[in-house]
Amino acid sequence: MQIFPKSLNYLPLVAAMAAAVGGGVATFVVAYYFSPNFLYVGYEPEQPVPYSHRLHAGQMGMDCRYCHANVERSYEAMVPPTQTCMGCHSIVAPESARLEPVRESWETGEPIEWVRVHKLADHAYFDHSVHLAGGIGCVSCHGRVDRMEVVRIDQPLSMGWCLDCHRDPEENIRPLSRLTDMDWTREDATAEEQAEMDGLLARAVPPENCSGCHR
Amino acid sequence: MSKRLPIHAPKAAADQPAIWRSITDKNHPEAVARAADSEGEITGASKSLVALKAKAEVVQAAKAKVGRRGFLATSGTAAAVGLSGCIRRPVDHILPHSRGPEYALPGIPLHFATSVTHGGEGFGLLVESHEGRPTKIEGNRDHPSSQGATDARLQGMILDLYDPDRSAHPQQGETESTWADFDGWWRDKAAELGQGAGLRVLVRPSDSPSHHRARQAFQQRFPAASIHEWDAVSYSPYFQGSKLAFGTSFETRYDFARAKRVVSIDCDFLGSEPGTVRNARGFAEQRGLERPTVDMNRLYVVESTMSLTGMNADHRLRLAPSQVDRYLRALAVKLGENGVDLPEALQTAVRGTSTDGFSESWLDGVAKDLVHNRRPGDSSAGIDPDTASNRANDRTRSVIVVGWRQPPHVHALAHALNAALGCIPGCVALYPAYNDGEQSHVESLTELTEAMQGGSVDTLIILDGNPVYDAPSDIGFAEALASVDNTVHLSTRVDETSTVCSWHLPLAMELESWGDHRSIEGALSIQQPLIAPLRGGRSAAEVLAMVGGIRSWRGYHLVRGTLRETIGARGFDRSWRRGLHRGVVVSPRVRPANPPVNGGAVAAALTENAVSAATPFEVSFIASYQTWDGRQGNNSWMLEMPDPVTKLVWDNAAYISPATAEALGIAPPDAPPGFLPQTMEALRQGALLNISRDGVESITVPAYVLPGHPDNVVTLPLGFGRTRAGRYGNDVGVDVNPFRTGDALGFASGVTVTLADGRGELVVTQAHHSMVGRPLAIDATLEQYRETPTFPQWRTDEREATPSPSLGPLWTQEDYSQPRVPARGGTSYQPYPEERTAREGASARYKWGFVVDLSRCTGCSACIIACQSENNVAVVGKQQVALGREMHWMRLDRYFVGDDLADPRVAVQPVGCQHCEEAPCENVCPVAATAHSPEGLNDMAYNRCIGTRYCMNNCPYKVRRFNFLDYQGVVPELERMQFNPNVTVRMRGVMEKCSYCVQRIQYARIQARRDTTVDSEGEITERRIGPDDLQSACAQACPSQAITFGDLNDTRSPVHRRAHMDRNYKLLAFIGTQPRTSYLGKIRNPNSEMV
Repeated sequence: MQIFPKSLNYLPLVAAMAAAVGGGVATFVVAYYFSPNFLYVGYEPEQPVPYSHRLHAGQMGMDCRYCHANVERSYEAMVPPTQTCMGCHSIVAPESARLEPVRESWETGEPIEWVRVHKLADHAYFDHSVHLAGGIGCVSCHGRVDRMEVVRIDQPLSMGWCLDCHRDPEENIRPLSRLTDMDWTREDATAEEQAEMDGLLARAVPPENCSGCHR
Repeated sequence: MSKRLPIHAPKAAADQPAIWRSITDKNHPEAVARAADSEGEITGASKSLVALKAKAEVVQAAKAKVGRRGFLATSGTAAAVGLSGCIRRPVDHILPHSRGPEYALPGIPLHFATSVTHGGEGFGLLVESHEGRPTKIEGNRDHPSSQGATDARLQGMILDLYDPDRSAHPQQGETESTWADFDGWWRDKAAELGQGAGLRVLVRPSDSPSHHRARQAFQQRFPAASIHEWDAVSYSPYFQGSKLAFGTSFETRYDFARAKRVVSIDCDFLGSEPGTVRNARGFAEQRGLERPTVDMNRLYVVESTMSLTGMNADHRLRLAPSQVDRYLRALAVKLGENGVDLPEALQTAVRGTSTDGFSESWLDGVAKDLVHNRRPGDSSAGIDPDTASNRANDRTRSVIVVGWRQPPHVHALAHALNAALGCIPGCVALYPAYNDGEQSHVESLTELTEAMQGGSVDTLIILDGNPVYDAPSDIGFAEALASVDNTVHLSTRVDETSTVCSWHLPLAMELESWGDHRSIEGALSIQQPLIAPLRGGRSAAEVLAMVGGIRSWRGYHLVRGTLRETIGARGFDRSWRRGLHRGVVVSPRVRPANPPVNGGAVAAALTENAVSAATPFEVSFIASYQTWDGRQGNNSWMLEMPDPVTKLVWDNAAYISPATAEALGIAPPDAPPGFLPQTMEALRQGALLNISRDGVESITVPAYVLPGHPDNVVTLPLGFGRTRAGRYGNDVGVDVNPFRTGDALGFASGVTVTLADGRGELVVTQAHHSMVGRPLAIDATLEQYRETPTFPQWRTDEREATPSPSLGPLWTQEDYSQPRVPARGGTSYQPYPEERTAREGASARYKWGFVVDLSRCTGCSACIIACQSENNVAVVGKQQVALGREMHWMRLDRYFVGDDLADPRVAVQPVGCQHCEEAPCENVCPVAATAHSPEGLNDMAYNRCIGTRYCMNNCPYKVRRFNFLDYQGVVPELERMQFNPNVTVRMRGVMEKCSYCVQRIQYARIQARRDTTVDSEGEITERRIGPDDLQSACAQACPSQAITFGDLNDTRSPVHRRAHMDRNYKLLAFIGTQPRTSYLGKIRNPNSEMV
């Protein structure tokens, strides 16, 4: 008298295989879909003003620091005050409907509510100024902003990603005159620029300990 | 069997005096030893003994009850919210200004020079402001009363600004009103008042020129009105005393940096008298000996309580407050006998003073020592005469100082003695005072009250102050106030006085309004607002000027107007801008006065006020180190700061001596077997005392038995027991003002004290974080120091005699004098490829270190509050402190030294994280949340911490603090504005501890890195962080410069110098932790003829 069919003899084997495959899938799902690489890269929120970096920084070739004026002096790169926009737009396209929120902010004194794109955790104290002083350009973390119609996250901005560069910054170092030049690559370096980069690299001792970024 | 090899702690040297923390520790050394052996098995008793009282909202989290349904609902919601968060973080906005303000760089704090009233004079500050939000107070180096330092109360002022219980609008009776309503009301009223016959104004004493200009304007507009002054901790004895001695009232400034011998007559000049910060700075100047050949000052303290100054005394005489006067007279006789030229009348007046109870050494010994130091440097052999501090000076460098508790004639006698000793001018500098010394504050208040009782007051305007709470009880101020028709009270909150008044007006605090101040020596400074009035108030000077009819009464115009009158219109705008920038407009040019002493008048006053005999019980009133006279009564930092002397938190108590306690029948119950010292100590403290006196309402106060306190004297701290302070300060401690009468503001005689039933619940922190009996705070006399300059090491580091720990370190030891290894290759998976080496020619890395000079440290606790303010340290409430859960990163241990329970010496020791190079905490962390930085910092990554508390248990110094509850989560929104944005606010379940102010280190490093340049050839020009670029918050605040912080690899830095001084030692050096924090042994300078 046999209660269970013979095919059940394969049950342990099938179960083991299912567990192995399932475990593998689960590991993959977590590793890929729960990672900043999937969750954050590509975040592209709509802004109150349809400001185009491609137009301003790309086509017109404005330097990043015209608006993000603080980036070499402060933790924050800073989003410019409405004043900066109005510096040009009181003359250029003063009637444009798309600039209505800017004019409103200028008249009322109320801030424009930009949506934050690049956001680090509160316990990570990132400093723009020291990275620029060390020869790390905008493009390394923010990508080709000059080609973006709407700003999106280009890099995962995770701790592991930060540390990869802190442990080996060589590929991301560029001469101080090329910090905001997004077209420039290390292959374009002149001999003088190469010497400067070597100096910057020799000086670089980026922190790899906790208190370097967490306080 | 434990694998751990034994660590042989050196036994205390045989000649070393006993060191103890509490009376129980002293009486029961066996219990201390048992606790040390077993690490203390905590019986339930130690917790249940203190019937715990919940404190406001801080502990609400502890009491939150969650039922099953609530739990399910919450967890369901949390899961939903959490899962939704998996997709995308919530949308965050950036709000840039419409028009960017001048100078402001988002992310970079600005510092503004301003000034406040502190200790009766202007005090210069530098306030840090983050995007328009003031967060931290520092001293202004350019201002004479600060010289860069602050004290605990000034540090706490920033929290007063964000007090959630401040009133936001004027109030007429119970109904909400507006400033426009008040202005209208006053216009009508002023017309009705005419010459001002029924008008009175009550103010706090002020050093502000604008305040005094407004007073003059007021007097001109209302010639028949009068202005009264009241301050609960009244300095009028100073002014009346100098008027008595010289005929004119003077402000007195003592130069403790030059005084070689100081006799303090009931004067707490390091803690609660005017100019404590500069006093501490000067006093410490001679205590922190750099080498044995330098001369040192000597402090004699004669006092009627146990004060901060008494804790620092070389000799201390405990007296009943009424007998302090008699001591000074007896000393005057002795000084006369030793050749000091006293006026004839004075000699007659003091002749025949009884010397009962004063030993010959305290009379003749002190007198000789004072006279001997007319020419310093010849007192003992081996003195290096060429050092700056010893340079010959034919003025006497002995000075006698008298405190505010003592009546004017004692002050006058001290002035006469100082003049005869030849230290006016010199160590004592006299400057003209605003207060003319005609009328004391209590006389002024009494006159006002009598006028109110007589019905001649129609309108009373009270500008700041809280007289209903703190006026002497016998004059009946509160009742009289209720009978006045129109009463206006300007204050920060609807307090005890406001509730009785018909108008309440919100006061703009000093950090949010314009003003001006004058220091004793005449330095004028501008009080520059850091923020617009948060609650829409006006300052006292503004209201006074408005009432006085000054047309441009708004603070800015008022101050500019006053200053223009003082310094002239020529180049005024330039001076104004310079003054705002530097914090000082006019540097002092006034020369100290040198008036002759009117011996006859002093003698007459002495004869008139004959010394009465001591009564069985006398009461000394002291200003609380925490809340002062109650004005910081709702400041949770100050309430939780352990009192420097008693280590009490969230309470005041009646301090009595052990002998008095015994006489009153306070004795701990029989010691049960196996008890813990702190348990017994809790039983000993808190017995209720009934204190009564003829004609005064009796009060019941819990007793605190304080070794070193005078016998038959009860000390009552003011400033507690408030009923309308706010959410933190209401009903904390006992209000002792009902026991204070107009004739006994400083002390009262003829008091009866009996033991009442019941116990108060006192929480004292000194028993926490025990380091059981090991030699920690090490002291020696000057002679011992000269004999053995390395005395602290001699006592702790007996490595030759005892085997050192034989286990090697767990990992390769870093050489912290080498340059830092730069990043070259490596990934997350393989971080340290072997080829990583430092660049050629790279300079040494930073080696952060910290040295505390115990000889300079007075125990004032400024560092505790400075740290709290800088590092967002949580307040936990009385109940949690009772459980040993206080969060202060810096604690100040107070030890008693010596065998005499009645009269011990005191040693204080600030202890924060020692940043051990071989840190025991790091070995035991399962998640590497605490790890070492290449510069030797013991880093703490809060977001990694899972709260095992292994590190806390493994720390030999007991400096780690655990967030048992969500202490910061319940902080009101307004108070959160104080948080330092550069320091993470810690949540529940996270360990924290002193970080050496790592956020400041990183800021300085980033500045230095930005200034390090690379030219086109790749040449590197490096700028290093210098000693002036970086200070920890505690070091910056320290008024006595006891704390130094900096780079030990930098041979120019003060911290390097102190780390290599002969009396440097490390705590528990024998266990091999190699701490970065080290201490300099305390040196005392007793008079060899008196020992």
